[in-house]
Amino acid sequence: MHKNFHSTIALLVVVSFGIILLFIGTDGFKAFTEESARVNRLMEEQPKVPNVTLEDSKGRTYPISEFEGKFMFITFLYTACGTVCPQLEYNMAQVYDLLPQKYMGDEIVFLSISFDPERDEPETLERYRKAFKSDGETWRMARIVDKTELNTLLEKFGVIVIPDGQGNFTHNSAFYLVDKTGSLREVMDFTKIEEAAEKVERILEGEQVSKR
Amino acid sequence: MTQFIYGLLLYIFLMIPPIAALFESMMITHMHMQMPMLVISGFLMSGFLLRRSHRFFEKWNHNGIPGITLFMMIMIYWTIPRTMDEALTMQTMEIWKFMSLPFLAGMPLRDSWKKLTKAGKNIIIFIFTVKYFGMGALYIWSEESLCNNYLVIDQLTLGWGFITTAICLVIYLVYAFTVNPSEYE
Repeated sequence: MHKNFHSTIALLVVVSFGIILLFIGTDGFKAFTEESARVNRLMEEQPKVPNVTLEDSKGRTYPISEFEGKFMFITFLYTACGTVCPQLEYNMAQVYDLLPQKYMGDEIVFLSISFDPERDEPETLERYRKAFKSDGETWRMARIVDKTELNTLLEKFGVIVIPDGQGNFTHNSAFYLVDKTGSLREVMDFTKIEEAAEKVERILEGEQVSKR
Repeated sequence: MTQFIYGLLLYIFLMIPPIAALFESMMITHMHMQMPMLVISGFLMSGFLLRRSHRFFEKWNHNGIPGITLFMMIMIYWTIPRTMDEALTMQTMEIWKFMSLPFLAGMPLRDSWKKLTKAGKNIIIFIFTVKYFGMGALYIWSEESLCNNYLVIDQLTLGWGFITTAICLVIYLVYAFTVNPSEYE
């Protein structure tokens, strides 16, 4: 009897410890994967976009700060990718179509950034652009030639790219929304197209109201 | 004492940075080799410690249930995709892994296993079987990459590793329930 009493106490302690451990380890049962933890962290931190130089599919070179004063809807990809990137870009195209045309270019630009600058030179990007019917102006496809700049941006946004040694990359994908001051505002699930479009539209509308 | 030395040697071996990096380079070796070996090292090392603090364990882990629960909690914790990722990217998590698996899983396992009844042991194996099928299914059929630091193919390999282990456990359980060893003696 006496011994069982001690065992029960010990069991309670152990179970409480386990629950606390799992609670802390998953941010309160919210983030079971590093990816969800990463998104939560990014939304809290709202990091600034570092200054990087883009080279787009038309061969134009300019700093990303060119788009200051506009929202940026960003995805990261590489064109040789056969799996998730086409899906990501296809979904991005749908978000583009769902948003009211009046915002395009003035209030928001769409930006697909390649993290494979060696293979994705302007001509390749141009072909990719046409495949997804992006206009090359309000939705641009670009690469960042400078490796250091590229890595800084990827790191800031928590994009992890692992080469598999056969010319392919494993990488996490999401829609990123950067606000007019250049801070990351939202990281959205790229599979939830309508949800993302609604969210972006709401944010853009909010901006319009506050301007008046 | 010999056991303690073997355990310690295994523990030190696993800690050598290139060895650790090698195990961690693949998801399946990370979870199904390095982690169990850490548990084993703790299991071997703890015989000595358990004898010295025999009375403490006899008092608080009389029936083995608290100890085996602690063991399971730690094992479950380390199969969460996120903890595995963080062990690779955060130094503190890596240290926590090397502390918790030998001393909070290996040591209580050693003290508790022999105290459990036959039924108790089979229940534990059954829980692990279910968990391994579950984790296997999760890793194989997950649409997305669960770990940011590993390739999707790694994830698939690990998933099938879980399923294979679970199948072995099922075989054991079937054996345990259908075969009566005394009939063959």
